[in-house]
Amino acid sequence: MALKEVLLAPEGERYAQVAKARAMTPDALIAELQAANLRGRGGAGFPMGRKASLIDRGSAKPKYLVVNADESEPGAFKDRQVMAEHPHRLIEGCLIAAHAIEAKDIFIYIRGEYLAVYEILQAAVDDARATGIFGDVEVTVYRGAGAYICGEETALLDSLEGRRGQPRPRPPFPPVQGLYNAPTQINNVCTIATVPTILELGAEEFAKTGVESSPGTAIFSISGNVVSPGNYELELGTPMRELIYDHAGGIPDGRTLKAVIPGGSSVPALTPDQIDVPLDYDSLAQLGTFFGAASLIVVDDRCCMVQLALRSTKFYMHESCGKCTPCREGTRWMVQLLEKIEAGDAEHSDIDLLRSVGDRILGKSLCALGDFAVYPVASYIKHWGDEFAAHVEHGGCPFEGSSSLEGIVAPSDAHTHHPVAEVPA
Amino acid sequence: MSAAETVTLTVDGVEVTVPKGIGLVEAALQAGIEIPVFCYEPRLGPPVGACRMCLCEVAPGPPKPQAACTLTAADGMVVKTAKTSAMAAEAQNATLEFILVNHPLDCPVCDKGGECPLQDLTFRYGPGNTRMEFQKRTFEKPIPISPTIALDRERCILCYRCTRFSESVAEDGQLVAVNRGASSMIATFEDEPYRAPFSGNVVELCPVGALTSTQYRFEARPWEIQQVPTVCGLCPVGCNISATTREGKVKRILSRNHPEVDEGWLCDKGRFAYSHLRADDRIEDPLRKVSAHRFEPLSWGDALDEVELLLRWAGSSIVTALSGGETVEQAYGLAKLLREGLGAHAAVMPEPVPDALDAFRAPLSAIRDAPAVVVLCDEPVVERAPVVDLWIRAARRNGARVLTEIPEERIDGVVLISDDADRCAWFARDLGAAAAYYLPRTPNGRGVVDAWSAASEGEPVDGEPKLMIVSRDLAAADPSVRALAERAEKVIGIGMFEASFRGLADLVLPATSYLERDGTTVNLEGRLQRQRRTVVGPCPDELAWIAKLAERFGVAVSPYASTTFEEVAGRCYGGISFADVSDQASLPARAESAAELAPPPSTRVAEGPGLRLVAYTPLFSGAAVERTPELAFLRPDGEIELAADDARARGIANGDAVTVRSNGTSRALRARIVRDLAPGVTRIPRDDAEGLHETVEVSK
Amino acid sequence: MNFADEVREIAKQYPDARSATLPALRLAQERHGWLPPDAFREVADALGLTPAYCKAVASFYDMYHLEPVGEHLVEVCTNLSCALSGAQKVVDAFESELGVRAGETTDDGDITFRTVECLGGCGYPTVVAVDNRYRQFVKPEDVPSIVEMVRGA
Ligand SMILES: Cc1cc2nc3c(=O)[nH]c(=O)nc-3n(C[C@H](O)[C@H](O)[C@H](O)COP(=O)(O)O)c2cc1C
Ligand code: SF4
Ligand code: FES
Repeated sequence: MALKEVLLAPEGERYAQVAKARAMTPDALIAELQAANLRGRGGAGFPMGRKASLIDRGSAKPKYLVVNADESEPGAFKDRQVMAEHPHRLIEGCLIAAHAIEAKDIFIYIRGEYLAVYEILQAAVDDARATGIFGDVEVTVYRGAGAYICGEETALLDSLEGRRGQPRPRPPFPPVQGLYNAPTQINNVCTIATVPTILELGAEEFAKTGVESSPGTAIFSISGNVVSPGNYELELGTPMRELIYDHAGGIPDGRTLKAVIPGGSSVPALTPDQIDVPLDYDSLAQLGTFFGAASLIVVDDRCCMVQLALRSTKFYMHESCGKCTPCREGTRWMVQLLEKIEAGDAEHSDIDLLRSVGDRILGKSLCALGDFAVYPVASYIKHWGDEFAAHVEHGGCPFEGSSSLEGIVAPSDAHTHHPVAEVPA
Repeated sequence: MSAAETVTLTVDGVEVTVPKGIGLVEAALQAGIEIPVFCYEPRLGPPVGACRMCLCEVAPGPPKPQAACTLTAADGMVVKTAKTSAMAAEAQNATLEFILVNHPLDCPVCDKGGECPLQDLTFRYGPGNTRMEFQKRTFEKPIPISPTIALDRERCILCYRCTRFSESVAEDGQLVAVNRGASSMIATFEDEPYRAPFSGNVVELCPVGALTSTQYRFEARPWEIQQVPTVCGLCPVGCNISATTREGKVKRILSRNHPEVDEGWLCDKGRFAYSHLRADDRIEDPLRKVSAHRFEPLSWGDALDEVELLLRWAGSSIVTALSGGETVEQAYGLAKLLREGLGAHAAVMPEPVPDALDAFRAPLSAIRDAPAVVVLCDEPVVERAPVVDLWIRAARRNGARVLTEIPEERIDGVVLISDDADRCAWFARDLGAAAAYYLPRTPNGRGVVDAWSAASEGEPVDGEPKLMIVSRDLAAADPSVRALAERAEKVIGIGMFEASFRGLADLVLPATSYLERDGTTVNLEGRLQRQRRTVVGPCPDELAWIAKLAERFGVAVSPYASTTFEEVAGRCYGGISFADVSDQASLPARAESAAELAPPPSTRVAEGPGLRLVAYTPLFSGAAVERTPELAFLRPDGEIELAADDARARGIANGDAVTVRSNGTSRALRARIVRDLAPGVTRIPRDDAEGLHETVEVSK
Repeated sequence: MNFADEVREIAKQYPDARSATLPALRLAQERHGWLPPDAFREVADALGLTPAYCKAVASFYDMYHLEPVGEHLVEVCTNLSCALSGAQKVVDAFESELGVRAGETTDDGDITFRTVECLGGCGYPTVVAVDNRYRQFVKPEDVPSIVEMVRGA
């Protein structure tokens, strides 16, 4: 069966699925969720039901459900629309998931910048509470304060505990030791907001939608150089080309497609000849990239890939939490090298050094942020290496000021909020 | 060990069987294999996996290097370190390259140079050259974060050991990391100093030269120094320490982890107060009083003759005030001379420890593992026995209940800590405590009492004393001792500093410090520990001239601590040998006691609106601290401790200026609200409490 | 309600009062306009933490101001999607309109202008946040009216 909109569709009867879920035992509900094989929409794509089954429900401690609404991945803006337009769909999903893991406390961690969305969500929570649907469950909306790393699940937990949001070593994993060291389920907004649909259709039917390895729909945030950027909810498996050209209207101003970063700025980019790939976890993995946050950044031929790499790396340097060595030191070193290349002061050996520094960060940092800084840059060097080399030979940027990212000022270039020692790279 | 409690894994092909639940770093060590670490330090709590120095290849597990420090040894695990895994070698080399990217090359002028883990690990696992050619991160350096500690942010590798100590061990929350990412740095609040009793431990924890001791700065190179193992003599805990000496001078005090006593932590008094050894008013020769407030030196020959004359003249009519700062051997030698030689049995002793407590003897580390800890102390634990405070905090972090009153219900395994000997003994029995610790006032009071009674039998004679002997500055500072001395015709002092004895003694013999003598002390657990002569003092060891004098009275006292110890041990310590107490002394077995105990008076609570005043002796006070300028900032500065409820009831907030009144006298102090202080009680340092009565009014 | 009581009220929502650190810091910032040393002391006293701890937390997050800022905060996203869609031209427009560089505050102390990382509006570039309220699809020509509006506010 084909599934059209689920997350962005107009709401039916609110909280209809909660009663259905509460009529089931937690075990039965978890079995249902596992059967649905809903894969996490936050990035890792880990099956939501399996995660629930890992919760240490035998523990004497309370169980917690935490919704990851930190959405800070450059290119991602889907959670925001779901919360702004259908907050009750998210809350309904929360109540169902909480029943599965026997949690009485639900926390929704929303990034601090989403002020308007927070107000909508908080109002919705209050309305829902007023209807009595919560029962003995409590929902608390917690505002972040501006730190991309707090989207990483364990950093999020530390932030929610009132600390510096730095990732924790795993193991122990949150289902065993999460918030306040108690068993904790963490899911992305879209993951949880999809849960009611699973109960509505039944796991069996739901599992038939999308593609076998990734059922259901996803909201794809598409931005950058397309005619109609925005969110499009499509079944998983939809070809990327269809999204870019049919839904988002293709590349504007008669420019040509140069690169697509398919999962938010943290994943390897694809070249124009790769965009027939179906948009699902496994197909993208086969191309050596990731589904990530289902957020496509489309880049046309006006963009200098060195500048793209530099701007991207400045972001990850700025957002590195500073806890682990490779990410903290490596991202800054990468920025220094990229600036040297962009300035035309580099040798070919500097490009090799950049690649090597990347390799030395990859897989060695405490959380994936280190990898996120490297994946895209490594892919730019791989596919557009000649453009990097041109900077060396040409003694400067071959675009000579015409690149779409020319002169872009990143926060790390001009800074006031960390007066103590913002380190210019 | 039964198979159930062990796991078997292989590290670099070596199969090891280790206790279940231990970390990979320890497991590898048992196989004789090093997994290099920076941030990993089990004493600081759960691993953080920050520095990435310990990356190894681990199966089962994801196909990338794993932070070994965060993993627990499991059956069938296959661990490969840099020795046998290219992946691990590459990862560790990468970590070091990244650490060095912003680490300055000032090793030649760095105090850590030569004893620096970063140097050592770079030598073993690091890159031979640098590929970094950009400007390194620069900071203003070094900045003093307190009079005792300097911080060099450029050298900092952000292992977060210091901040974890501050947050999770000392729990003072004063040393933190600020900012994010590459801008992260270690800091205190604004430009306030790191003012806390255990701050010095961060210097020892720092794996690089980022946190250094201002006292030790540029004082020595590692190859010029000796480390002499000994025991701190400044409080009854008796932390195990090493004295770093160079050219016969103590340059630094380091911890020497005794897992049962101190777990490798020291208070800042024990760590930094050593400079009092070289104070200007240190007594180096015997002194004779020439006028009310002046002494003149005299030769040892003359001094001993005068002492002999005074002793013969006074005969049995001598009162000896012992301070509890002597070694067992010094006290024993003196006691033997006076009691056996002159029948002078009268003595003022440090407070006695009821034998009944020996039935509740346990290592201090038992506090950490207790389900509940009852702290029956008027005086703050940290001021009397600092490291005990850390054990109590560790217990709380382990989930123990920490109570400041006698619990209604019975709690199995409860441990008791008290600063009142009789209450301690009584309630230890009453609660059926698993362990009980009395916190005495003096470092070796217990050993001194043992030694005195072991020396001989005999009752004091009645009547006013003709001669009084005041042993050590601690006793000379005691008002009751001074009062007694008033009544004696003559007074002989034995001490380190002139000021202590001015207007008190007619004759003063120089005393050694705990770092300058050989002998033993008994700590608050009842553990005999050996102090070593780490440097030669400006004067002979007391035991040497005590032996000479004793000879003149036909009493045999050996000038050697070892010989004297064996004599004492034979009489009261079951004949254990000097060797047994030398390196890491073990705790004597428990001794049951049938002694009848009298129920102690119930705690006095102030009647009326007033608060019960407890005047305490601050940790950072006394002769040694007064002679250590770097510690001046830690001395109490007119603070009064209030329980949260009492403060709220009076509308007093932390740091408010308050007036303390008790009939007639009033004093202006600053309020400090402390969490574990029983309501109705308030604490003021003894000096500030001068003239105040038991019950005080506190108002804004 | 005084600050301390307000903070303790917030703390009640959480199993551990420490969780109230972020909300308490936000509240303190609303009162002071930024986070001066005293703000950290207030938060610390209210929650039984230390000022050092509170500053450690605040300095980790971009939305807390450790030094004075203007009456109003104007932030332009210059992350990839906005940048690809001309965010820098919007930045330039603000700089010339306000007469300050990104990261600076106007002399009259009215407006602090800065660039920020992705605001989560990538599909509607360029995103500009005025006192945390988003304006989307902002073009350089819209800047004068935005500034006028802010100054008017
Ligand atoms: C640096 C970093 C940033 C992340 N940011 C987010 C985010 O903003 N939102 C999100 O849902 N997941 C984010 N994740 C993924 C989370 O760690 C976690 O996998 C996810 O929230 C789990 O939810 P899901 O299983 O429903 O996808 C991030 C991960 C990393 C390493
Ligand atoms: S100062 Fe030393 S102990 Fe503290 S983080 Fe830096 S390197 Fe680690
Ligand atoms: S890149 Fe501008 S909002 Fe995301």
